[in-house]
Amino acid sequence: MLEFRTQGFAGHAVKYSPFFDSRLAVASAANFGLVGNGRLHILGLTANGIVAEKWFDTQDALYDLAWSEIHENQLIAAAGDGSIKLFDIGIDQFPIQSWQEHKREVFAVHWNLVSKDTFCSSSWDGCIKIWSPHRPESLTTLPTHSCTYSAAYSPRSPSLLSAVSSDSHLRLFDLRTPASAANHLILSVPLHSPPPAQIGQPRSPVIPPSEALTHDWNKYRDNIVAAAGVDRVIRTFDLRAPQQGPLSILAGHEYAVRKIAWSPHLPDILLSASYDMTCRVWNDGSGVKGPESADALAYGGGRQLGQMNNHTEFAVGVDWCLFGSEGWCASVGWDEKVLVWDVRAVMGQ
Amino acid sequence: MSGPQARLSSITSQLSPYPPRGIASVVTKSADDVVITSALRTPFTKGGKGGFKDTHASDLLAHVLKATIERSGIDPALVEDMAVGTVLAPGGGATEFRAAALVAGFPVSTSVKSLNRQCSSGLQACVDIANAIKNGMIDVGIGAGVESMSLQYGLNAVSEFSELLEAHPEGKNCKVPMGLLSEKMAKDRNIKRADQDAFAARSYQRAVAAQKAGKFDKEIVPMSNVKWTDPKSEEEKTITVAKDDGIRDGMTVETLAKIRPAFAKDGSIHAGNASQISDGAAAVLLMRRSTAEKLGQKIIGKFVAASVVGVEPLLMGIGPWKAIPEVLKKAGISKDDVDLWEINEAFASQCLWCINELGLDQNKINPNGGAIAFGHPLGCTGARQVSTLFNELERTGKRIGVTSMCVGTGMGMAALWVKE
Repeated sequence: MLEFRTQGFAGHAVKYSPFFDSRLAVASAANFGLVGNGRLHILGLTANGIVAEKWFDTQDALYDLAWSEIHENQLIAAAGDGSIKLFDIGIDQFPIQSWQEHKREVFAVHWNLVSKDTFCSSSWDGCIKIWSPHRPESLTTLPTHSCTYSAAYSPRSPSLLSAVSSDSHLRLFDLRTPASAANHLILSVPLHSPPPAQIGQPRSPVIPPSEALTHDWNKYRDNIVAAAGVDRVIRTFDLRAPQQGPLSILAGHEYAVRKIAWSPHLPDILLSASYDMTCRVWNDGSGVKGPESADALAYGGGRQLGQMNNHTEFAVGVDWCLFGSEGWCASVGWDEKVLVWDVRAVMGQ
Repeated sequence: MSGPQARLSSITSQLSPYPPRGIASVVTKSADDVVITSALRTPFTKGGKGGFKDTHASDLLAHVLKATIERSGIDPALVEDMAVGTVLAPGGGATEFRAAALVAGFPVSTSVKSLNRQCSSGLQACVDIANAIKNGMIDVGIGAGVESMSLQYGLNAVSEFSELLEAHPEGKNCKVPMGLLSEKMAKDRNIKRADQDAFAARSYQRAVAAQKAGKFDKEIVPMSNVKWTDPKSEEEKTITVAKDDGIRDGMTVETLAKIRPAFAKDGSIHAGNASQISDGAAAVLLMRRSTAEKLGQKIIGKFVAASVVGVEPLLMGIGPWKAIPEVLKKAGISKDDVDLWEINEAFASQCLWCINELGLDQNKINPNGGAIAFGHPLGCTGARQVSTLFNELERTGKRIGVTSMCVGTGMGMAALWVKE
């Protein structure tokens, strides 16, 4: 396990570069992101461990980042003051562009993985915005009317994007639909809806709505999305049949789940980071069904495969390495630690 | 809220315990809540003397059911099931109650059952219906309770105990009369007569004040054309019963102190500090919130949780003491979160003991008097408490209420309700 300290700054998000296997970036904030500056760290993985290649300081906390999918040296960061900033590693100190439209903290940014020419952002102001790096204003605004902690493009379609918000809903937008009163919204899934009742099985307990904090699209199975948040469980949904409720419910985290990421290598493996200071690896039960979990909330035969306990404060960011042998990942937390580790080393824990 | 505070409170809310605990969790509204849209009762009248002494339990029930249809505006065909709590009726009253529902205007498609969990039968009826709604068995139902103690109180209420039951130490205790065991409990737990009388006097005084202020008017459905035989002249009259007739003005600790103990020479329990023998009926209309909204029914409040516990048969009076913490635990709130308590006054002794033992605020308990002042028609009381509770919560603008009672043979029940 490799470790780096973002001295004085609590990590909020970590992302591997889609271009280089040895580069990652961390969005961080002083004073746990409550008040003060932010810092974007560009880190290199070397034979001598993790080294800081560069950093950019910002006026307000940084909560998320996304690497450009077309330019290997560019990345965007989401800031607490409502701005989104585009940085170029080749240019010192200042962002090459800044967009200021969101009225509250921007909590997520995500680059379009298919067309690669746009990115989206979501904010506590109840809006998702679509941007082009070449335009000074946003292209589209999609209202959710609810503090939206996470927004992401489909890995398959350039015009599908989804978001989860504090109203316990997953929303799906299709930008190909005509702009109308629905604002491209084509689906709204209540995340807390119970799984279908099964004969011979006790009814699952009624779950009240809770804030959803993170979600991610499966990289192999079209239409499969996982979401998680304050109710501590991770749920997977099939967007073609959302009324059936979750496909699986993964229970185990002891506090809210802050970040989840599907494996880029395997279709049924998930990684999560939680306020309970752990990062956990899960099998969602879509392939080999595990033994029934003892947890009353669990459903669908998924199970925890392993758990990483090295963070000593809230673990809030995880990302998988796209390159090399499957299993390498990075995590960040409020303990100012960036950890690069292999999930295979924590299996069975 | 400015930046840092807003960010901090956002993090705090994400770290709050889950599932949510405390008041926030019980007052949230969701489409599958069980809500109450009507809670009514007949007047309570004195057993053997009062306005309903010659009226059958089934007629009281039919009357309160008819009023439920009229006042709530519910289409009776939408009511799928009805549970009626009653204690003394032979055969559980099952046959009469089905007929009473038909008389009240319910179609043959509305099913009816009777049930008996002694003094908590009325509450058990409401809880049974609430559970059936929660489970999706029905969408709309009525929990009711009725008792004609005038016509059905007596030796037939319990059949003779078999040798098998008599041979079992706790089994045999189940048939000890309530008065005797309460007397023993009062002595064992050192509940002084003066305290019991003070509690009883307050019940009377509160009920008198409430009745004068018209506080019961909204929950009571007056009944006219009631046949009543004058015990002196034996002349049959037709009367209208619009008020509880057991409430006596001028009851004080001093007047109560003069009454002779009823169960033991040196005892502390007497007619003035125990619940009255009464006749009456009550009905509560329950449905799923989504159904209520679809039908445009006015939602009074919601049912949150209920508990039922067992205690030693001889200590049946401590039932609420055990049942109340249980229901609060289920709902995840503390006793301080509760704005109003309706705890049945079976006996001043047991009610007072439970209140003191739980450390509850006297001012929040039965603020309009209780069974000592206006009566305890056994199977009806649990349903009656719902109407009294919601009306008082509405008047005071409060939200969280608990109803509870002790149950003969050693049980206790409690339920948590939220006014909306």
